[in-house]
Amino acid sequence: MLLNRQSSGERWRARPDGPGKVTGALAYLTDRTAPDMLIGRVLRSPHPHAAILAIHAEKARALPGVHAVLTYRDVPGLNGYGIAVQDQPVLCVDRVRYVGDAVAAVAADTDAIADQALSLIEVEYRLLPIVESPAAALADGAPLLHGDGNILHRTDYKRGDVDVAFASCTHIVEEVYDSPRQMHTYMETEGGLFVPEKDGRLTVHSPTQHGFMDRLQLSRITGMPEERIRILSSPIGGSFGGKDELNVQPYGALLALKTNRPVKIHNSRKESVRAGLKRHPMVIAMKTGIDANGAILAHQVKITADTGPYATLGAEVLNFATEHALGPYRYGSVEVDSVSVYTNNGMSGEFRGFGGNQAIFALEGQMDRLADACGMDPWDFRLRNMRESDAPGPFGQPIAPTNGAKQAWDALEASSLWQERRQNESAATVLRSESSGGMKAPWLKTGIGAAFIMHGSGLGVGIPDPGGGRIKLAPDGKIEVQFGYEECGQGLLASLELMLIEQFGFAPEDLRLVIGDTDVVPNSGSTTASRATTMMWKSLQRLRPGFQKELLAAAAALLGLPEELLRLGRGGIWNSRAIGENRGNRGREADVEYADLAAAAGDMAGIDISGIADTGSGNAACKHGADVDVTEDTEERLLLTYRALAGKTPRPIVAETSFAFPASPFPRTGAHYLYTFAAVAVKAEVNTLTGRVRVLEQYHAVAAGPVVNPQGYLGQIEGGSIMALGYALTEEALMQQGQYATSNLDTYLIPTIADAAGEMAIEPIEELPEGDNYGPRGIGEIGSVGLAPAILAAVHDATGKRLNRLPIDPLQLAERPAFT
Amino acid sequence: MKKQSDLQPAPSSVFHCTVNGEDVQLRLPADKRLLAIIREDMELTGTKRSCEIGRCGACMVLIDGKPVNACLTMAYQCSGKAITTIEGLARPESLHPVQQAFLDEGGYQCGYCTPGMIISVTALLEDIPNPSEGEIEEALSGNLCRCTGYGGIVRAVKRAIDQRRERP
Repeated sequence: MLLNRQSSGERWRARPDGPGKVTGALAYLTDRTAPDMLIGRVLRSPHPHAAILAIHAEKARALPGVHAVLTYRDVPGLNGYGIAVQDQPVLCVDRVRYVGDAVAAVAADTDAIADQALSLIEVEYRLLPIVESPAAALADGAPLLHGDGNILHRTDYKRGDVDVAFASCTHIVEEVYDSPRQMHTYMETEGGLFVPEKDGRLTVHSPTQHGFMDRLQLSRITGMPEERIRILSSPIGGSFGGKDELNVQPYGALLALKTNRPVKIHNSRKESVRAGLKRHPMVIAMKTGIDANGAILAHQVKITADTGPYATLGAEVLNFATEHALGPYRYGSVEVDSVSVYTNNGMSGEFRGFGGNQAIFALEGQMDRLADACGMDPWDFRLRNMRESDAPGPFGQPIAPTNGAKQAWDALEASSLWQERRQNESAATVLRSESSGGMKAPWLKTGIGAAFIMHGSGLGVGIPDPGGGRIKLAPDGKIEVQFGYEECGQGLLASLELMLIEQFGFAPEDLRLVIGDTDVVPNSGSTTASRATTMMWKSLQRLRPGFQKELLAAAAALLGLPEELLRLGRGGIWNSRAIGENRGNRGREADVEYADLAAAAGDMAGIDISGIADTGSGNAACKHGADVDVTEDTEERLLLTYRALAGKTPRPIVAETSFAFPASPFPRTGAHYLYTFAAVAVKAEVNTLTGRVRVLEQYHAVAAGPVVNPQGYLGQIEGGSIMALGYALTEEALMQQGQYATSNLDTYLIPTIADAAGEMAIEPIEELPEGDNYGPRGIGEIGSVGLAPAILAAVHDATGKRLNRLPIDPLQLAERPAFT
Repeated sequence: MKKQSDLQPAPSSVFHCTVNGEDVQLRLPADKRLLAIIREDMELTGTKRSCEIGRCGACMVLIDGKPVNACLTMAYQCSGKAITTIEGLARPESLHPVQQAFLDEGGYQCGYCTPGMIISVTALLEDIPNPSEGEIEEALSGNLCRCTGYGGIVRAVKRAIDQRRERP
């Protein structure tokens, strides 16, 4: 069934963060200010590669209104950061390696003064040769960007002997796939407010996808103990992986500590483009061979990633790309060699899809070419080589059993879009000249293509992947739920609220959802890798029995009633539905207004089983339940509000859980255990006069288990897909000699509402294998992967041209018009 | 030529306008950007800062009912004008119908583009109560959204149109 508002029924709900967002009342972290606040700015290198000979900051320091000018000498702790490897200088010492490298930081009374102060800092540079590509970095005699060379990470995987297997192949396809430097383009640029507290602590209001990781990193840099730093990290005006790593936080923190004044930093878009992360450009060479029946005998892959000047998560992205270059297919033999290379280009790092986008673009291109080579339909070719439901993962690792590949394949096969292609194909063999339709301009050619995606979730083997959460009855009677996950816009709060309503029976008004505050929430790991939904679901599954039992036991003791007659519900403890149902009576939950309950609870400040839901007699009080025989009651009613329970319970009622994301018992770093599958079909139109491609229609089947939050699910797949549309058609942060050729959104083109026009159908496949207890899989990334290769397939269907580079170059599709 | 350090800020002038229906007197340099005036001087942070070159629409406000990028508008251009920001749309007791439609349809995710988007939709529907798809695309092409893929936004616009038709 297609996912939309109608098919979702009552599960389609307004998000808890919605009113604040549509009214503008929600203050983002970059909207916050503080009294006596200073403005922070960072001086960045103008050169992609240079030695620093001297930094003269005296004039800047002497400028009235300037309160601090920091250089590397002012970093009290570790002058380095990076989630995995701390090789990126907070403030450069003797060398800069890209145009975003920070050399000094300034705090001043106003932005204008800070700007002027930056211009007064004199840095003497000696230019060094620019390493502008991985090829240049790997060449003999290349300048070394780091002490141990220009290679951040190498990884490989081998099974069988591809050289032997290629010798027996009937067809071999060799191609090199080139993918662009894509920018996250979150609408809120990096920034935050940094506040030194009276007690010497530091409060950081700045978006990140893992508050505790920022706390750890800032602790290293400032030399302060972690518990002296508080990170407030949600809400976030978009991240997509781009704000997981530190950005402005080191400068804000150091400036605030140095001046003992609140400091605000909010990057301009230009600075965001220059300093921020991008998706790794990768060159992926593939050589794949099949036998006469279309079975893949050998698959050889060489991946070269441009990771830019510093590590961040470049190694992990490469591991992910290596795994995902294999996909949901069976191979006789496999060989993957991957390398991630330092250059003087912009920083590459974590980005939604995490290396899978590049790998699957290449892999799906191979599948289409192989199908061509053996004369098979491309979708049938994929079925011919598809993994079995009990097959191990790409690295041969044990994974959770899944039939997702077949489910997604079947769904796409049955889709009207793919059926249309099949009809076109059979029509084309008979009447090729008439199949394109009568009235259309002859230079507009349409085609339909598809792609198949297998995407791992969680961080993988060998990387700490904690999960967990806390739920408690707060003193004010709210059910307070605490998670260390972040609201990036994906709808995390809405998903959490809906799970609490559906699993526990709470009403939204009963709840207080607490996230994004390291002083309060448990460390439940990062909000990355499509893991947060799964982890929250699992946490609630683990928390529910104990928490429910404690609440009911406390209520039973206060009411003098047996626990088994009680249940959790809107506003408080109710007599069990079972009684009402057994007697065939209608529950009265719907009649209860929460406001009445709260008012009643407030008035009585105690236990109330007076039948608030009753006929209006109001105060027919029967306190402590001694006189009430609930078993004789004919209707469900609220017996005790959460507030009253909180006021009377002798000890706090709280439940906490912590565990790890499921990982494969396999000794290979990064190998995944849970996989999600998707199939994407797209109809595209190519204007052969201009070479421009327009997407007309999309179909997405996603096999990720139960839909937790329909609105969020739909939004993630739609939004991810349009991000892939940009990846396929327009987005590339070009670099020339280590300098960005684009600095803002006038030349870096993300899709507009006009580009995104066209129908999009989303079909979730919710069925999991019997006994699967891992719960719903995250879908934050998978929607961003498949559209790009599907568009390339559609372009081929329309024009007969196979392209190997993203974004599509219109010049490759434009044709000289021929008038006959 | 003067040294940069000798440059003084432009002298302030006085401008009168209304912001969300209230009379406002601005004593500011004539070239101060409306975006900074709204966010910093008036502390109305619903209007967002993003590209600052008039491309993304996150700072869209209404000036005499027309959608304008506040990042490209200077103080002197506001003189005598009626300015409406996202904070000026809702009534105390209810959301503006366009806001309600965005809430109902989930026409937002991170929410950072949402105020500007809602301002543009409001202006569109005042101008053309029953726009075609092409007119919707044209009116909103100056508002970038990176999260939604515009699906929820288009549904919200259509809902707002339908509701407007039902109770004009």
